[in-house]
Amino acid sequence: MTFVQLAVNGVALGAAYALVALGFVFIVNATSAVNFAHGDLVMAGGYVAVGLGSLATLPMILMLPLVAAIMFVVGIAVALVAYFPLIDRPPATVFISTLLCGIVLQNLFLVLFGPQARAAPPLIKSGTVHLGAIEISVQALGTLAVAAALIGLQYLMFARTQIGRRLRATAQDRQMAQAIGIRASAVIACTFGAGTALAGVAGALLANQFFVYPTGGIPLSVYAYMAVVVGGWGSIAGAVLGAMLISIFQVVVSAYVSYAVATGLLYFVLLLVFFFRPQGIFGELVQRRV
Amino acid sequence: MGLASWLLAGIRLPLIVGAAALILYAVCYANLYDLRVLTLCGVYALFVLGFQFVFGHAGAVSLAQATFFGIGGYITGILATRFGFLFPVTFPLSIAGPALLAVIIGVPVLKLEEHYFSLATLGIGLVVLLLANQWSDVTGGANGLSGIPPIEIAGFAVADRRSVLWFVWATVAIGCLLAHQITRGLLGHAYHLMREDPAAASSVGLNIAELRFGAFVLSAAYGGAAGALMAHVIHVVSPENLDLSLMVTCLTMTVIGGRTQIAGAILGAGMIVYLREWFRVLENYYMIAYGTVALATLIAAPYGLVGALERLRSLLFGTTAVVRPPLIAQPLLLCARPAPSRDAEALLRVDDIALAFGGVKALDGVSLSCRPGEVVGLIGPNGSGKTTLLNVISGLYSCERGKVVFLGHDITAEPAYAIARLGITRTFQHIHLAEDLSVLDNIAVARAGVDGANLLEALVTLGRDRRLDTARGLAMAAAERLGIAHVLMEPCGRLPYGTRRRVEVARALVAAPKVLLLDEPAAGLNEQEQRDLAERIRGFAADGVTVLVVEHNLVFLAALAERLICLDRGKVIASGLPDAVRREPAVIEAYLGLDPDVPELALAESP
Repeated sequence: MTFVQLAVNGVALGAAYALVALGFVFIVNATSAVNFAHGDLVMAGGYVAVGLGSLATLPMILMLPLVAAIMFVVGIAVALVAYFPLIDRPPATVFISTLLCGIVLQNLFLVLFGPQARAAPPLIKSGTVHLGAIEISVQALGTLAVAAALIGLQYLMFARTQIGRRLRATAQDRQMAQAIGIRASAVIACTFGAGTALAGVAGALLANQFFVYPTGGIPLSVYAYMAVVVGGWGSIAGAVLGAMLISIFQVVVSAYVSYAVATGLLYFVLLLVFFFRPQGIFGELVQRRV
Repeated sequence: MGLASWLLAGIRLPLIVGAAALILYAVCYANLYDLRVLTLCGVYALFVLGFQFVFGHAGAVSLAQATFFGIGGYITGILATRFGFLFPVTFPLSIAGPALLAVIIGVPVLKLEEHYFSLATLGIGLVVLLLANQWSDVTGGANGLSGIPPIEIAGFAVADRRSVLWFVWATVAIGCLLAHQITRGLLGHAYHLMREDPAAASSVGLNIAELRFGAFVLSAAYGGAAGALMAHVIHVVSPENLDLSLMVTCLTMTVIGGRTQIAGAILGAGMIVYLREWFRVLENYYMIAYGTVALATLIAAPYGLVGALERLRSLLFGTTAVVRPPLIAQPLLLCARPAPSRDAEALLRVDDIALAFGGVKALDGVSLSCRPGEVVGLIGPNGSGKTTLLNVISGLYSCERGKVVFLGHDITAEPAYAIARLGITRTFQHIHLAEDLSVLDNIAVARAGVDGANLLEALVTLGRDRRLDTARGLAMAAAERLGIAHVLMEPCGRLPYGTRRRVEVARALVAAPKVLLLDEPAAGLNEQEQRDLAERIRGFAADGVTVLVVEHNLVFLAALAERLICLDRGKVIASGLPDAVRREPAVIEAYLGLDPDVPELALAESP
């Protein structure tokens, strides 16, 4: 395969990863807590898609809103269980509560769907299109389009709407937001919902080509975490770019060496990046305010 | 303190009774399966005990603890199965190996903050895991190494399950003892302040990097020891020993047991090991049940099981009666030499300092100097750069241009802790105290940096930590100088605002500084308290301490400062005798935004 072809594949996968990272960074911004169940929620979205696909033979694109709606509710449930009871504890506590949520989810998938990998129906149809020498699957194109649309939508929402402003205010300072009449808990719950809906959509998109299986969420949590760190903690654009970089690296490098070695190299490169840029690739080195 | 009151303090009694019951059970009733489970509890307790150093005491979420555990196991496995080395060789090397790795990676990794640190440790773990899987000639690949022999020391094999149990728990006991030695005294308090408030810790001379490094290496050593024991107990090492899921188990045990308490490590490890054993009957549902119960425990006991027990105790029996301060005050000598003459060379000189945050020039070429024993007031409207200047002097911010000279040395590039140790300490505009620590210990902890409390010394000092005793004695003297001796044993979080401000001043004072930087010490005090505080600060100056006070309150400063310096938008706009500065047109304009030609409204009202 040519390098260009590999890069195209990387971007297509990266679009789905970007959605995963986007949902993750939403929750980070609203709560300054790391949601380590995020990858498992991606899988949950995938399983919802698998389930819906077995009920009706519609293309996934028509079912995506339903997946998003279901996952929105799931996200609020996760917030109620793993975040709100621990809201005043150090962030590491939420880190662990979400890890435990993740364990419960993984084993729930195992009991409900079994250990084998499952595939969801394609977004529109299966098959590939050719652009010159480059071959790209319809699913990948669809993923790109959906991801681009959702990323654009969230940008408009944050920049232009009152809800977006409330979200940003709550993210910056929960107490202050409450003091000016924002219902911070409702906003945080919605953020969890929205972040999880994005994860769910990403899961439904990934579940066609890359399958879903009970433990499939763990690396996704790690990649999302990594994307946000590489992109500069809390930066939405940084998270999207970080996710793209990670997936392109993986797709391109694993074409030359094994997937396991590519993963190892990815972490190795990450460590090197930290060594030279402790603030992440896109992060700005700011003096800590005292 | 008698034995009875020692026993009744805190939750010692239930813990001792529980431990005794458990030992009785292990000796008399436990079958082979029970012995194995109890042994596993011991191995995990040691594992968690180590993790408490870096996660609990140093407050850094390291995700490499399972890696250290796995490496310890692999070293034992490889040396024992391939080279036939026995326990006396393999065990020390299994501890030294992970510790060495921690030393090597610690320097670059510990520089990273919070999530960057967590992710870097996770990355290292995954690289090691990959290595274990791929380098199968040595590690046995995905299957790992089996046939690891039992522990054997000087011809005695620790082979049957009962001896293995005792051996493991004896090691845990040693681990507990060492952990107790390290955290019981001044060093433990240093870790406490450091994780609660890094800025405050640096400003009293604690070297955070060094403390974190020590904790990281210790946790690696404990992890290695636990991993080696595990290899002997189950006779196998495999990549599972390095796994992320083991790391999750470790985190869960630590948070559920208690982050910093030794009993927490044992309770957390025991609870999780037993939960899993009990739920095995649920077969497919067992991990769901385990996760749910662990999550419920986390929510129900957010301070860990030990914290929950302590809270339950104080709910049932009330809090332990206020303990009397254990010592008499030690004389606090503020300046070793008599106050130098007034026209001596400047003690502290700031030259042309500039610092911008984004486009905002917080400091734009500020120069000033303080003579020994002088009280200088730094005034200026909000946002004029006063606090930023203190942050630059004390080393919390690094400036872009200019230099800070103290005692003839350029200290501009020195880290905050070094500056504090040289003799410049400070208070903060917003209170920076460890809320759970008593007033006495909040003050005493400032001696840790100056006196150089360190790991090795804490380990080898038997009995009481004499450094802590001395530090507390000095802290009592400092508290008396601030008039807060009556609240010494109260936790700081419960005190009124004004008292907490004084605790901060006492903490800055106990390090016997040559220069004391005070950031709005009178904020929130009533007039009488202000007069009292001014009187006390003048007392420090009379003893030869140079004081630089940032303040808005000109009434307070009038009674205190010999000289005023006024900043506006990052520049010095006036400097000199208080009265002259207050009448300076530029000062009036900066404060009131008035035309300098109408000075009658100005600050003339103040006495």
